[in-house]
Amino acid sequence: MSVPDYMQCAEDHQTLLVVVQPIGIVPEESFFRIYKRISAVSQVNVRDSQRVLYIRYRHHYPPENNEWGDFQTHRKVVGLITITDCSSAKDWPQTFEKFHLHKELYGATLYDSRLFVFGLQGEIAEQPRTDVAFYPSYDECETVEKRIEDFIESLFIVLESKRLDRATDKSGDKIPLLCVPFEKKDFVGLDTDSRHYKKRCQGRMRKHVGDLCLQAGMLQDSLVHYHMAVELLRSVNDFLWLGAALEGLCSASVIYHYPGGTGGKVGSRRAQGGSLSAEAGNRHRPGALTSNGINADTSAEIGRAKNCLSPEDIIDKYKEAISYYGKYKNAGVIELEACVKAVRVLAIQKRSMEASEFLQNAVYINLRQLSEEEKIQRYSILSELYERIGFHRKSAFFKRIAAMQCAAPSIPEPGWRACYKLLLETLPGYSLSLDPKDFSKGTHRGWAAVQMRLLHELVYASRRMGNPALCVRHLSFLLQTMLDFLSDQEKKDVTQSLESYTAKCPGTMEYITLPDGLKLPPVPFTKLPIVRSVKLLNLPTSLRPHKVKSLLGQNVSTKSPFIYSPIIAHSRGEERSKKIEFQWVQGDVCEVQLMVYNPMPFELRVENMGLLTTGVEFESLPAALSLPAESGLYPVTLVGVPQTTGQITVNGYHTSVFGVFSDCLLDNLPGVKTSGCTVEVIPALPRLQISTSLPRSAHTLQPSSGDEISTNVSVQLYNGETQQLIIKLENIGAEPLEKLEVTAKTVNTKEKLYGDFLTWKLEDTLSQFPLKPGKIATLTVNIKVKLDFSCQENLLQDLSDDGISVSGLPLYSPFRQVVKPRVETKPINPQESSKAGDFSHVKVSDVRISNICGAHWAVLWFVLTRQCHLLLDVFNSTEHELTISARNNEDLILHAGECQRMAIQVDKFNFESFPESPTDGTQFANAKQLEEERQQAKGLEINSKLDIWEASVEGVLNQLVLEHLQLAPLQWGE
Amino acid sequence: MAVCIAVIAKENYPLYIRSVPTENELKFHYTVHTSLDVVDEKISAMGKALVDQRELYLGLLYPTEDYKVYGYVTNSRVKFVMVVDSSNTALRDNEIRSMFRKLHNSYTDIMCNPFYNPGDRIHSRAFDSMVNSMMMQVC
Repeated sequence: MSVPDYMQCAEDHQTLLVVVQPIGIVPEESFFRIYKRISAVSQVNVRDSQRVLYIRYRHHYPPENNEWGDFQTHRKVVGLITITDCSSAKDWPQTFEKFHLHKELYGATLYDSRLFVFGLQGEIAEQPRTDVAFYPSYDECETVEKRIEDFIESLFIVLESKRLDRATDKSGDKIPLLCVPFEKKDFVGLDTDSRHYKKRCQGRMRKHVGDLCLQAGMLQDSLVHYHMAVELLRSVNDFLWLGAALEGLCSASVIYHYPGGTGGKVGSRRAQGGSLSAEAGNRHRPGALTSNGINADTSAEIGRAKNCLSPEDIIDKYKEAISYYGKYKNAGVIELEACVKAVRVLAIQKRSMEASEFLQNAVYINLRQLSEEEKIQRYSILSELYERIGFHRKSAFFKRIAAMQCAAPSIPEPGWRACYKLLLETLPGYSLSLDPKDFSKGTHRGWAAVQMRLLHELVYASRRMGNPALCVRHLSFLLQTMLDFLSDQEKKDVTQSLESYTAKCPGTMEYITLPDGLKLPPVPFTKLPIVRSVKLLNLPTSLRPHKVKSLLGQNVSTKSPFIYSPIIAHSRGEERSKKIEFQWVQGDVCEVQLMVYNPMPFELRVENMGLLTTGVEFESLPAALSLPAESGLYPVTLVGVPQTTGQITVNGYHTSVFGVFSDCLLDNLPGVKTSGCTVEVIPALPRLQISTSLPRSAHTLQPSSGDEISTNVSVQLYNGETQQLIIKLENIGAEPLEKLEVTAKTVNTKEKLYGDFLTWKLEDTLSQFPLKPGKIATLTVNIKVKLDFSCQENLLQDLSDDGISVSGLPLYSPFRQVVKPRVETKPINPQESSKAGDFSHVKVSDVRISNICGAHWAVLWFVLTRQCHLLLDVFNSTEHELTISARNNEDLILHAGECQRMAIQVDKFNFESFPESPTDGTQFANAKQLEEERQQAKGLEINSKLDIWEASVEGVLNQLVLEHLQLAPLQWGE
Repeated sequence: MAVCIAVIAKENYPLYIRSVPTENELKFHYTVHTSLDVVDEKISAMGKALVDQRELYLGLLYPTEDYKVYGYVTNSRVKFVMVVDSSNTALRDNEIRSMFRKLHNSYTDIMCNPFYNPGDRIHSRAFDSMVNSMMMQVC
């Protein structure tokens, strides 16, 4: 006997073995359909007795195993059912001949046999025969079950007669010696008359009768016979048969203790039969009661209780039996099967440790050279048994070996599919799931070396199976989850092979469904590169939306009827913490900044990196980047354009690395810092580009605060000079511009320097509004420099120190504050010529006015009643030659850096025309004086070489000078 | 003496595993991994015993053709597994026991290190050298 039946279990000892086989050509499908129906009849309650017969059906049984039938009768083929397909009466004799030939295969042991003929109709089929049944087709054979039951009953009759024959055979006649095939030659020439020999014959026969009783459903009798057999065989040291007797004892006890069975397959066997199985179950019940010990015969009950082994004893006896089997090399299969049976019993008893010892023993049982297929079978069954006793790791280990065996190099046609399937089954044993989500929680903790090996094998198996998509999925899983455990060289190798696979079949984000229903989730490469933070960026300042202030003010919540409610304020505060303050604008390019780093020891090329969003239609503009090896944090800006309005949530990003496309959701990423990912998208706004005619300045005059944009342009002007600044307003957006406001702001520390530097006429420009997209409007701003340097000696100093003034020119479009051009006055600095800078949408003018003249003013006063002379020290601080002309005076030519004194005759005038306020003293007076002096100053016209300008002396003349300018409060008599 | 020494966390993942460099490392990974089945079984059988009476030494877990695998479990369910060459008959149960005790002491020292996060892999020079000394005694 060489082929072990790993599926055997203890209760199989009570079954009758029936072989069902096709003869001739029978379609496999039809055969198994009939086979299934036949095997549904596995328990038969024999007529006029409470005994139950159990039948074990096999469609394949090696005849050499049959030879061990005397040793353990359940190994003996007692029934043969053949199924044949016969379409014409002509073939019938031939078929029947085949049936007889087939019977001879198991000849000696058969109790009875049947032939089922399908497809034959006519007079042959009419003949009533007991051993042949005719059915017109595979679909019309309702009586098959009935036939089988009759067949089993006939088997029972033979069995019962044999049992009675042997059991009562107590006469002094010679009892034949039963023996197993390999023993036969050992007994040649032995003294058959010795006491020893006789005892041996008796013992073996007892054991045999025990087997027959067990099969015939007489449990208590079998126990008695087994006990006697054990006694007899122990005394003659017939170890092989002693082992068998002990095993028989164990089997009978197991059947008694565990009526549910130990194999775990009874249930499935019943389920196959459908409606029939229920019937069989009903029929089974009285028998089951018998085997449960509910029986009228109480004496039998007592006897059984005494003879039956306790659960602990069963294991001891199994151990003993196996140790006896172990003495015979040829009984390896018996030993192995006994181990398997014992393990099944122990699994039910939940004694895993002992079971594992049995299994350990089974592993070492050396059968003859096994074929590869048998090896696979053996490892699989070991794995299954380990699984049953709860040793999942051990089970996985053996299953993996079985898988490897499937694809062993010695096999001509490696079964990669089977290998792959078995490998998949080992996954739970190595606590490995193929869902990358299970690995996203913190650092991976597991048997990395072992798991990696398994994944490599999965990759290899799937590749050999010719399923590149599967291969890519496993390989990317390996790379993603085991990255921390891969050495640098392994990282290189894995990525290289991944790239070569993806060249043929790019990795996707779809689930891969295996034929057996297992779904492999997609593997996004969240670690290639690793993202550390995600930050939504505000629009560039020039494009930021500004709310046009409504009359109601900002505090009014649109949702609430209350002007103020603390509750609302509170809830809004909470909302604010999650939501981002700023808004994005439809149609504008919006940016998200990621901080990423590359954990690989080589340059990582990330292609097609873009944003994943929900809520708003978003056109993502993918980027490609290349990260240096083991880079530090590296900023990456992903951009996109929202196409509609509403709430937009940035969920994640997608990449394509090594040819694998991944969608990485931020929720699944560990350790990502984000400051909120939801932002509101508001409808598209107009965009205005402003450019000026002036050259740009390289210097920012004032650090721009958050909400204003500035570009600096510069112009150098001499005091008194005027220049036109043309501001070109171009609508580069898609919306018409409706509104424009312009204001000028002088940023000036010296309040004394008044003057309308900038004047403009907005009406001309506004007449072109609303400005259609693409249209250009112009605004002309006049820059006029009028500075007064009179009197204040330190003014000049101040000017050269820090410049004079900065004026802003804010322009308003309907929704968005676009621009604030700035005009600045500063002392000349030749180096500050315009430099090329970034061209943004907005240009701001920077007007630089140079002071040409610093002057000391003095009033020469003569005792003139109505007139006086103003005496000026005029200093030309420029590099140019100046001609100064004043009223009633000659032109004065001033060379560069020259200082000259000139006198101007002015009329005195009266202050009285301005009523004096009693309340405010000096201040008001000053103001009044200033007003008057402005009139005076009109007389002071100076011609410069560059232009004609008017200098004002306002505020420069000091108090003393003013007194002299005033008409004496006297009335001169004329 | 020992050919492989492993420290396994409560949740059955390795904190430390080290084997003789000459041998196939993966083989020992498999050996230790499968031995955990037996360890689990032994612990669950032991679970009923009182804590102070519990024997930490689990004894021989299982023998293979070439090796014997021994186990030891601390009260915090950290397991030590030692693989010993089965040809080395000089090693008695008592020696194995004392080796485990040494291992336990060394492990306790690691746990006392305030910079060690329980549950992380063990990277300790002192522990390494102790394990080395246990593996060196082969000759």
